[in-house]
Amino acid sequence: MGPIKIDPQKALDEALRFNRKLAAGFQSLRSLDEVDYGATPKEEVYREDKLVVYRFKGKDKPTAKTPILIVYALVNRPYMVDLQDDRSLVKNLLAQGEDVYLIDWGYPDQSDRYLTLDDYINGFIDRCVDAVAKRHKLAKINLLGICQGGAFSLCYAATHQHKIRNLITMVTPVDFHTPDNMLSHWTRGMDVDLFVDTLGNVPADLMNWCYLTLKPVRLFQQKYIGLVDILDDKVELENFLRMEKWIFDSPDQAGEAFRQFIKDFYQANKLINGGLKIGDKDVSLKNVTMPILNIFAEQDHLVPPSASRPLKQHAGTKDYTELAFKGGHIGIYVSGRAQREVPSAIHDWLKARA
Amino acid sequence: MSDTKSTPDWSKDWQALQSQYWSAWSDATRQAQAQTQGQNPEAAVPWQQGLEQWSRMFGDSGKQNETAERVMASAKGYVALMQSMLATATGKNADVGPLQAWTEAMRGGFNLPDLDAALRNNPLAAMLRSIPGQGAQSFEQLSASFAPFLAQMKQDGMSWLQTPAFGYAREQQEHRQKAVVAFVEFQEAIKQYNALILKSSQRSFAIFEDKLAARSEPGRQIDSMRGLYDLWVDAAEEAYAEIALSEEFRKVYGSVVNAQMRVRSHVQQEVERIGTDLGMPTRTELNSVHKRLHELRRAGKASGGQDLAALQSEVVQLRAEVAALEKPQASAPKRTVPAKKKAVKTSKQKR
Repeated sequence: MGPIKIDPQKALDEALRFNRKLAAGFQSLRSLDEVDYGATPKEEVYREDKLVVYRFKGKDKPTAKTPILIVYALVNRPYMVDLQDDRSLVKNLLAQGEDVYLIDWGYPDQSDRYLTLDDYINGFIDRCVDAVAKRHKLAKINLLGICQGGAFSLCYAATHQHKIRNLITMVTPVDFHTPDNMLSHWTRGMDVDLFVDTLGNVPADLMNWCYLTLKPVRLFQQKYIGLVDILDDKVELENFLRMEKWIFDSPDQAGEAFRQFIKDFYQANKLINGGLKIGDKDVSLKNVTMPILNIFAEQDHLVPPSASRPLKQHAGTKDYTELAFKGGHIGIYVSGRAQREVPSAIHDWLKARA
Repeated sequence: MSDTKSTPDWSKDWQALQSQYWSAWSDATRQAQAQTQGQNPEAAVPWQQGLEQWSRMFGDSGKQNETAERVMASAKGYVALMQSMLATATGKNADVGPLQAWTEAMRGGFNLPDLDAALRNNPLAAMLRSIPGQGAQSFEQLSASFAPFLAQMKQDGMSWLQTPAFGYAREQQEHRQKAVVAFVEFQEAIKQYNALILKSSQRSFAIFEDKLAARSEPGRQIDSMRGLYDLWVDAAEEAYAEIALSEEFRKVYGSVVNAQMRVRSHVQQEVERIGTDLGMPTRTELNSVHKRLHELRRAGKASGGQDLAALQSEVVQLRAEVAALEKPQASAPKRTVPAKKKAVKTSKQKR
């Protein structure tokens, strides 16, 4: 018996159905307006240059005494954590009684080209932490770092232990030289000095291209073929478009910070190998001594679990917890499973360390 | 494939079904076109043209144009694949073995009629080139922005390439020669990159055949064109990952990026030279201003912090001194001194 059992009649029906869906779908696509995002009300509590710190407002007052400050990556917009009403890490954390703040980095322009990792980590993050801590009259707050923001949070926590009570890292790369890390593999042949000296800030569109070419057939074609199936479902279509908007709504990268991040993290793997210095501060994971909850996604193609797991061996903390989420780099925020599992895991873990 | 009918029967049915398909397709096209343009459409349209017709009719998808373009680009390729697979389903490629026939159907399906000859049998390269829209820009697309400058430099540089540079324009000539050399290196790097992408495409078909062979058991067979397409996607990603994680790819990828940056850098220098001649501010000058501004701000923040700490410390010290001075005064008999005189005295003391 052969591997293919395709009935020509059914195959023809399938082709016809595809074309009909496509035709109908284009009409519904035309009728849709710009999709919005952000489900939870928020207030601005701190501003510096293009950076804004928001505090999210839940239906009820927070019960947690120590607030969480979310440090998102520079390479994407942070509204992924509060994308829509039924896909919101923030909303679900608030529902658990947490008090949630978020750093929105804004969109750097050429005047930000000379921002360094020192400016971001020892400058911006430090002042944001101070601003939140001051509002609550606390010496220490909780930090939740996501992806590149997780790497920044580790550096910050290693050098400002006295300001961080608990550290949560989500899909955070720690070991950049694992064999399945395609992005890291590619950067190691790059002359990043020439790259930044020539481009200045790194264009977001170029970054997006690099991410998409990690899985080119799935992300350039198969995804859109799959979309045809839901083109006639307005709600599903809007969900897709919201996600699509997020994927392509990326900020340019400040040149100097990019240079340092690629050199020290991707190329030299200094979080693991040692020798990392941010500004005048030596960074060693051994100095990350507060409790850590490390959450990673098992099917993450951008930050493979193998890149996140080594935190356990390298961090100085005696209180380390790991959560392996069944999903991908994006699914960890927006999937149904994520809504059920991730916020409650964070809340329970924090509650035990309040 | 279903075994209930012989190939000639299927062939007859296929023609009928194809006719039915075209009829439905044409009806839908005619109806939509009449709605949007009020004109009579062509009687029948080939599959690709049909999609393009849809694309033209729904060319303006409002706020969702970019997504519509991406869907259309993907659908165009997929429809061609379906057409090729349907031909195989009806036994048109009966002269080769079944596995090869389906692999050939996939391979043939990617070769769209209007495809650049250089991209034939290289679906991955075609895919990388075909995705339009804002939000993602390849290294090749990035270089399009400076193409006119590059063309001029190439024209000038080529004619001078073999000529020793001398005279008042020596520096400019040397610069253009270097730019042309950099561009040749970039083209060479792109050639090597494309060769690896071709290798990945070829490997994808080999893996596809292996995956197909593994699906012969009952219950694991593929019964839809989408299922077959998804299997090929798995194979293509597997093949690509093999290549993309290789040492060779790392080296070539680095060469492409570095060579392109060298070309871009030469073009930027040329643009700056022209800008300077015209008295325009240049990128270098702006960078210099931005850099100084950042340094100033850092210095300001650093010294600001120190000053504040020093001031706080001084305030504490002064308060202590005042408190110490006030103690004996509090126990001593009170004296009334006119404020003005005291002020004058203090002023003299200071001198």
